[in-house]
Amino acid sequence: MHISRLQLVNYRNFSRATVKFQKGVNTIIGENGSGKTNLFRAIRLLLDDNLMRMAYRLDERDFHRGLGEWRGHWIIISLEFTDVSQDEAIQSLFLHGVGNIAGAAVDRATYNLVFRPNVSIRQKLSELAAGDETALAALRQEISLADYETVFTGKSSADFADPAVYRSLVGDFEAVMFPNELTPPEIGGIVPGMFSISNEIGFTFIQALRDVVAEFQNNRTNPLLTLLKGKSGEIDEAAFAPITKLVLDLNSSIEELDDVSAIRHDIRDTITDAAGETYSPKSLSIRSDLSDEPDRLFQSLKLFVGEAEADYEGGIHELSLGGANLIYLTLKLLEFKYQKVKQTFANFLIVEEPEAHIHTHIQKTLFDRMNYDETQIIYSTHSTHISEASNVENINILGRNGSVCEVYQPSTGLDPNEIGNIQRYLDAVRSNLLFAKSVLLVEGDAEEILIPILIKQVFGISLDELGVSLINIRSTGFSNVAILFHDQRIRKNCAIITDLDKAFIDLTPDPLDGDDLKKSKKRAFASQKAGQGRASALASLCQGNNWLSAHFADHTFEVDFILAGNSAAVVSIVGDVYSDPATITLAKADLVSGDIARSGTRVLTMARHVGKGWFAIILGKAITPEVYIPGYIVKALFNAHRPISDEILACIIDYRLKVQLEANDALRAQFETMHIYLERFRTGDIDFADVRDEMLTAFPGDRINTILATL
Amino acid sequence: MFVWNADDLDADQVEAIKQPGSVFLSACPGSGKTRTLTYKIALELSLLTTDKQRVVAITYTHRAADEIRERIEQLGVDTGQLWIGTIHSFCLEWILRPYAIYHPALKNGFGVINAHDSERAHEALCLQHGGGLRSFDCGHYFTPTGYVISCADWKRPKVDALLQRYWQELRANRQIDFEMILAYAHQLISDVPSISILLGSIFTIVLVDEFQDTKEIQYGILGAILKASKGQARAFIVGDPNQAIYGSLGGYAITSAELSRLSGVAFKELNLSKNYRSADRIVSFFENFNQLASNITAEGELKDFASVISYDCSTNRNALEAEIVRLIRYNIEMVGIPPSEVCIVGPQWPLLASMTRHLVTALPEYSFSGPGMVPFARDIDNFWYKLARIILTEASPQLYIRRNRWAGEVIAAFDLAGVNTDAITRKSLLRVSNGITSNVTDGLANLVECFNAMLPALGIDYTTYPMLTEHYDAFVESSQKRIDRLTADGVDAIADIATFRKVFDLKSGITVSTIHGVKGAEFEAVIAFGLLEGMVPHFNESDKVAAASKLLYVIGSRAKKNLHLISETGRRRRGSELYMPTDTLLACSFTYDLVT
Repeated sequence: MHISRLQLVNYRNFSRATVKFQKGVNTIIGENGSGKTNLFRAIRLLLDDNLMRMAYRLDERDFHRGLGEWRGHWIIISLEFTDVSQDEAIQSLFLHGVGNIAGAAVDRATYNLVFRPNVSIRQKLSELAAGDETALAALRQEISLADYETVFTGKSSADFADPAVYRSLVGDFEAVMFPNELTPPEIGGIVPGMFSISNEIGFTFIQALRDVVAEFQNNRTNPLLTLLKGKSGEIDEAAFAPITKLVLDLNSSIEELDDVSAIRHDIRDTITDAAGETYSPKSLSIRSDLSDEPDRLFQSLKLFVGEAEADYEGGIHELSLGGANLIYLTLKLLEFKYQKVKQTFANFLIVEEPEAHIHTHIQKTLFDRMNYDETQIIYSTHSTHISEASNVENINILGRNGSVCEVYQPSTGLDPNEIGNIQRYLDAVRSNLLFAKSVLLVEGDAEEILIPILIKQVFGISLDELGVSLINIRSTGFSNVAILFHDQRIRKNCAIITDLDKAFIDLTPDPLDGDDLKKSKKRAFASQKAGQGRASALASLCQGNNWLSAHFADHTFEVDFILAGNSAAVVSIVGDVYSDPATITLAKADLVSGDIARSGTRVLTMARHVGKGWFAIILGKAITPEVYIPGYIVKALFNAHRPISDEILACIIDYRLKVQLEANDALRAQFETMHIYLERFRTGDIDFADVRDEMLTAFPGDRINTILATL
Repeated sequence: MFVWNADDLDADQVEAIKQPGSVFLSACPGSGKTRTLTYKIALELSLLTTDKQRVVAITYTHRAADEIRERIEQLGVDTGQLWIGTIHSFCLEWILRPYAIYHPALKNGFGVINAHDSERAHEALCLQHGGGLRSFDCGHYFTPTGYVISCADWKRPKVDALLQRYWQELRANRQIDFEMILAYAHQLISDVPSISILLGSIFTIVLVDEFQDTKEIQYGILGAILKASKGQARAFIVGDPNQAIYGSLGGYAITSAELSRLSGVAFKELNLSKNYRSADRIVSFFENFNQLASNITAEGELKDFASVISYDCSTNRNALEAEIVRLIRYNIEMVGIPPSEVCIVGPQWPLLASMTRHLVTALPEYSFSGPGMVPFARDIDNFWYKLARIILTEASPQLYIRRNRWAGEVIAAFDLAGVNTDAITRKSLLRVSNGITSNVTDGLANLVECFNAMLPALGIDYTTYPMLTEHYDAFVESSQKRIDRLTADGVDAIADIATFRKVFDLKSGITVSTIHGVKGAEFEAVIAFGLLEGMVPHFNESDKVAAASKLLYVIGSRAKKNLHLISETGRRRRGSELYMPTDTLLACSFTYDLVT
């Protein structure tokens, strides 16, 4: 049995979320603050013995903040288990409590925590006239946490994350429509009082950065003691009897030591001297109090580990932090093995950020090998390295959209072949694709090198600051990776940047063409055709997918860069490409000719001459705030990064103002005026259209105006 | 493994509990049936291999369940994996509540109404549409295929129409009564096979006490569960076909072959036929009404006691009370039997009520107890009844285990009502209860005052929980009604708090009871009256001889030492015809003694 689904409704930073899990090892990927800890907390409220009590103490801070007014709303945490069988006696009690019966069999189990207004409030809500907002507001004013109840249900059939389902079960607060049915069967039956999930399953939560050394030293949390007790359940008294005897003998030997009995006499005498016979204690002895209780004696057992030198074993506190953690995790896993003996039929290990515990390589090996039957492992990470260890099908990505956390499964709805491709791609590039907020996909070195520089120079903001990851898919093909971005999968924007490869020379065959020209015309024609084919394939891939867009250079990146008005920048580096003065002169003439057939051919010749990547690096130093970014790149950028916040817009304008001032200090007056407008824009006093107009008036020559006009 | 002392059980009892397979045990009165059952449960509990398994025992009453559980705990066996209770509790806890969402009539939640409520509903319907029907005409029970109305043939169509209305009303209110608990449980078991499969693998053994009073539908439910377990769960069926006195409610003694067919379980048939309770003379008397082939022998300490067995068919009904007073005095004052060992048995409630009234006045020096003297509704599922048990009893070592369990039941009921019980433990609940007193002498007022002091002390405002409010109203109203009725019958002391406390007191005073009410009990002296054809057996019974024999068998076998039977003269039926002594009793030739 394993957890197949977790649904969170109105819980902390989750409005509605569905997390899917597979048998075995599962990964939750998410940046800081994306809700990993809350997601685990939700699971723990249902399964962790140490936290279950908290389920009865939910309060207003546990409601999703995006709700605004929480009064009247429900918090629902729902776990679904699959791989269950009514024919396995060991599961019977569990399934009796929470198994969903479908037809003649139990096909899954559901266990839910529902925090909702009690029946009298629900009754009052149901009696409200439809649309009577005033009455609803008045009623909600009266509701307090004391009117809330926590119920645990099983056998539920509802898809709680579906807003329509929520409206039908809880109500529609906008339309003021509340269900008349106060006990809807879809939320399942209240679990029987005798049901105790912690008797049925094993659950361990390993917190990030927990102090394992301290846990080893604490008798309550020491996993070694748990193991010793768990191995056989109870201690064999017969086997322990001789030990008890030894301890008792030891105790009396200590008591009989000459020094000990001498001290006892001296104490007695001194008391009698001081207090007199009447007031002295009647008897007094010194006893050796070594416990003969097995439990207490076991506490003296300590684990010693030789870490580095083969012939030296040290205590846990001497181990490196990583070593101690490794031992700790291992003992936990062993605990699960023993629990199987004790008849828990499913075990769950939740590890928070294992990168905090152990070295990633060990971790990878550990998780790879940790395929104990009936043990499901769920861990969270923000390390790209660990995500490789996990199968893309076993990955959930948490993303934050404002204050709302969302969950995506990158492989939903893909066929096994597609999943295989992505898996191999992720394995190969060790990509941070899954961690990005938004993505620009490019296909060549030039784009990978130059686009970040262009954006930094022109907008004054780096891609990292915009939360955009630029990923060079090289020759993998866009579609194989781009399919990840989809309503069903990763709901983040992805913009593809590629070339249309339209020919920039006249392709009309001319009988006067030499063989070379004939050949290049033929080649250009073939490229153009292939480009069209690629474009239409990508267009259909993006069709109906709001997360995905494709943006094309009409010709190729270098050519479109020139066409955008940047021949001067290329001219400035000709000397880095050619050394022959004649060639330099010719090249410069070509570049400034204004004839695309000449300048385009020249820039490509230059790139080929030193290699496209190296050319891009040389060109990089010629990129200044004054270059023109080709329009398709701007479009791609702001398709990936959207919506653009006013703060970002203000930063861009601010940067451009500084650029202008640096170039020409005489413009200080305009700068100051513009700065005031910018501040007013920042405070919301004027809108973007106003500040854009002012910018155009103040600095009509700035590159940014044409770009701002498109935003 | 659980081991017992050599003299705890006799050879037959040991043979029964040591059977590895399923057992079908016929046990004569006083044969240690409950003891055998108790030891069998203790043994089964000690043999459990995992904490996923349960031992399930079905008893006829809550009291029997409590007593057996206590005895097992006293034997030092952990009862954590034992479920024991009535068939109705079983159906509620194991079938209806967990699987309600799979039944169209239960999926939106349901409430259980008690016998008092359903009687009241019948009454109201009778008044409205009944055409002369009374609530006692509405008796009915469900079978696996339908339902049976117990009243006389000619009333049946009318009662049927009335029941249809009644069920409609309940459905509209999302309520079910005790009979419907069984009907719906049976429907769920039949329609959703997974339930039996799951339960069948949780239970290692299902023990049934008093099988002779079990209904077909109950056999159906248990049979389906046993069958689904494919031999994994065993059965231990105990009872006495001779004591099957609940035929009018649908109870009957199934044969082992029939139950085998129903459950797929192969039974070993065994008998317990040694009576350890009564004198030989008593045994030889009730043997006259034994309808089985078995031969009962007296083996107990009282075996050779010189019993007095008298039969009086000449006393007039007007002199009946005086005669019973004489018999009571004879047994207590002459023979030296303690009052708590004397029981007065009559066939019907109205006769007993007037008898109680007279006896209380005629014998002021003795106290009387029994079901008829309870001032409030004994509705085990009512929250306030559960709480009253704790309030009305004192903290004492003898009652410690029992009150502790009752406290657990109160907390479970709080949970069911939706109250957050995180901060309440059994101990804290008992502590709060022990600290609350009231000086009011009126029992109900006293109880209400304690209720209203206790819940706030626990930090609970019961008025915000619908279930608690409903139960509160039901408890107070039905108790008041009972008190009024008993006071009208002349039992003045009934409203007194002392009477309330006596209900949960360990047995004291002379017991007054119906024949059905003394089931399972034993007394040194039993005085039975109203042994009249039409009452014993009831005029509705089809097989009069069998019905009368079973009742006489039950009456006779309650007595350890002395037995006094009275068929008083001068009682009139509703016409003008006089009641005559029970035919079956007259037909029995026995040399009776005279009481002088």
